[in-house]
Amino acid sequence: MRPLTPQRILGICALLCGVLFAVCVVSLRMGAYPISVRDILSTLFNAAAGRREEIPVEFWQVVFGLRLPRIALGILVGASLSTAGAGFQALLRNPLADPYVLGVSSGAALGAIVSLIVAPHTVGAIQIAAFVGAASTIAAVYFLGRRGGQLDSPTLLLAGIVAASFLSAIIMFLLTMVTGSELRSIAFWLMGDLTAPPPTTNVLGWLGFLFFVFIVAAGAMYTTSSDLNLILTGEQEAKHLGVNVNRVKFVVYIAASVLTGLAVSVSGAIGYVGLLVPHVMRMLFGTDYRMLIPTAAIGGAIAIVLADTLARTVVAPTELPVGAMTALAGAPVFIYLMRRRMR
Amino acid sequence: MWRDASLYSRGFFVGRKFTRAGRQLFCVIYFLACYGAVQAAAAVPRQTPGFKRAMKVVTDETGRRVAIPFSVQRIVTLAPDLTETVYALGLEGKLAADTTFCDTPAAAKLKPHIGSPQTPSLEAIVAMHPDLVLATTSINRPETVDALLRLGISVYTSDPHTVRGMLDSIARMADLMGANEQGVGLVAQLQARLDAVHSRIAELPLVHVLFVVWEDPLITIGQNTFIADALRWAGAESVIVADQNYPQVSMEEIVRLQPEYILFTGNHAESNDDHELSRLRTRPAWKALKAIQMGHIVQVDDEITKPSPGLVGAIEQIARELHPGVFSSDGRGESIELQGGVTAEIFANMLWERERDFCAL
Repeated sequence: MRPLTPQRILGICALLCGVLFAVCVVSLRMGAYPISVRDILSTLFNAAAGRREEIPVEFWQVVFGLRLPRIALGILVGASLSTAGAGFQALLRNPLADPYVLGVSSGAALGAIVSLIVAPHTVGAIQIAAFVGAASTIAAVYFLGRRGGQLDSPTLLLAGIVAASFLSAIIMFLLTMVTGSELRSIAFWLMGDLTAPPPTTNVLGWLGFLFFVFIVAAGAMYTTSSDLNLILTGEQEAKHLGVNVNRVKFVVYIAASVLTGLAVSVSGAIGYVGLLVPHVMRMLFGTDYRMLIPTAAIGGAIAIVLADTLARTVVAPTELPVGAMTALAGAPVFIYLMRRRMR
Repeated sequence: MWRDASLYSRGFFVGRKFTRAGRQLFCVIYFLACYGAVQAAAAVPRQTPGFKRAMKVVTDETGRRVAIPFSVQRIVTLAPDLTETVYALGLEGKLAADTTFCDTPAAAKLKPHIGSPQTPSLEAIVAMHPDLVLATTSINRPETVDALLRLGISVYTSDPHTVRGMLDSIARMADLMGANEQGVGLVAQLQARLDAVHSRIAELPLVHVLFVVWEDPLITIGQNTFIADALRWAGAESVIVADQNYPQVSMEEIVRLQPEYILFTGNHAESNDDHELSRLRTRPAWKALKAIQMGHIVQVDDEITKPSPGLVGAIEQIARELHPGVFSSDGRGESIELQGGVTAEIFANMLWERERDFCAL
């Protein structure tokens, strides 16, 4: 096995970034409103040069008002979910773990529903309430999941699953109280939805803030990546080799939960990406977490941008929920990779 | 694959002397990335350019303050009832696009579509260059409206909960579309028809009915829906009193309440009353209802599901069916077009959402 070098990691990440860029250009090009690649490029160029007045109003609306924010949000959500998935899979030492396994999405959903009942039609209320719900769940599961003052993987997993089912039960009870139009909002939110407008008019500031949180959380997780490799071979072994297992677990738990909470609060529970993208990246580039975390982040971004592009275009002018598209388009790819690996 | 993690990987690239330097490098990179994000946010202009046109600011029925051009030439509707209203006002020439659900009148099917009411393509709406987009709370999502407003597109959202509210809404929308007179005329005509029904049945007691939105599971209407209000105009009252708009109720409760009539919408379009009746008589719980035993079931025109001018026709139909005594004399029967499909679609959609809520958890 070739040793992993920084050059190799950077090279592969650069390659994946190239793929992501290509996917973004394709995504910018596709949609119900017809724009040629030339028009897109000239719009981007004019915007970069500060010549707003030369851009037709509709191009501005479609490119900067609709498609770019959506792509940026997709990148953010995909990268967050996929990184969180990789983190939870190592933390729980369970290949079935996904970002929602510890009940974060149920907590966020509960927050969202409460906000729809208490303050319907308030822009931004869903996102904030969802994040509060996710954060409370993270804290509750953390305290339930400790044994002898330390995070214990099986206990944590059980605590998370129990919390998820308990919260789901509360959600079902509350759903019977919600009336028509709120029910519609919450249904789309639960399916995963990138179309909801951001809570502020300063879209760039909002996206910048989200990316900032992502970079901090994913970076924190990355600092533990070499320790995660050892923990995956066994906690005792890692301890004997000098890894501070508790600290690593704490950092990964908080970072992965924050990433999940972030993604869920802006886009609802988009399934599948957080579970499968880390596995796909393991199959393609190996199981070393120093490689896996960055590739999973970029791979998750690619997956969501692709899925959202398909969701926008397959049955145009109607749009499909992106959550449906991730599974529909992702499952065959995953099965192909899995079977190929077995041969 | 799971246990492949290699032991040489302790520390950041020990072999290449990258351990501490590696972490420091990461810190620097985060720092630069954050700085870049903040700079980008500050540097680029924020708002989309507004139309340089004469606008008036109105408050729509959901309380949003929206700017709408004085002269509206291109309209996009986001719901079938709004499309129907536009046609009833004779403004079809200004209707640039509608939804894939719009099928009343038949000509509406030929207009360009911008998607379904709940998941329209915002881009397709932009591509229609609308002066005014009409939305309604009864089927559209508030997120759609907010996103359109962000783009600088004028959206008026109607929110009728009663028949009178529907009439007011029509008058207001007509005014915004520059058809004030047609609006006043249409509302006066609809009001006159409602008054005619009312004058005949005002003295009669209300008939207790069960309005069936969906049969299995049994979903009916809540007291705050415009359907409940339309029933009151037709001299009927739902036996179920609920705050939710479309509550699911237990069959036992219905057997206990024993409604005098069962109302279905035309989503069982292919079957007639008799066929429906014989089908229900075979079902265990339904058999126990006196209304079924006596054959008191009514297939209501689909228009009852939409707060649009056609609703008045549906009210007349229900009133005639439930109070045959006072209507029998004149034989006046406006032909009511039956349009199958749309109700089924709306309710199927609604139900699908409910189901999905539970699956998604």
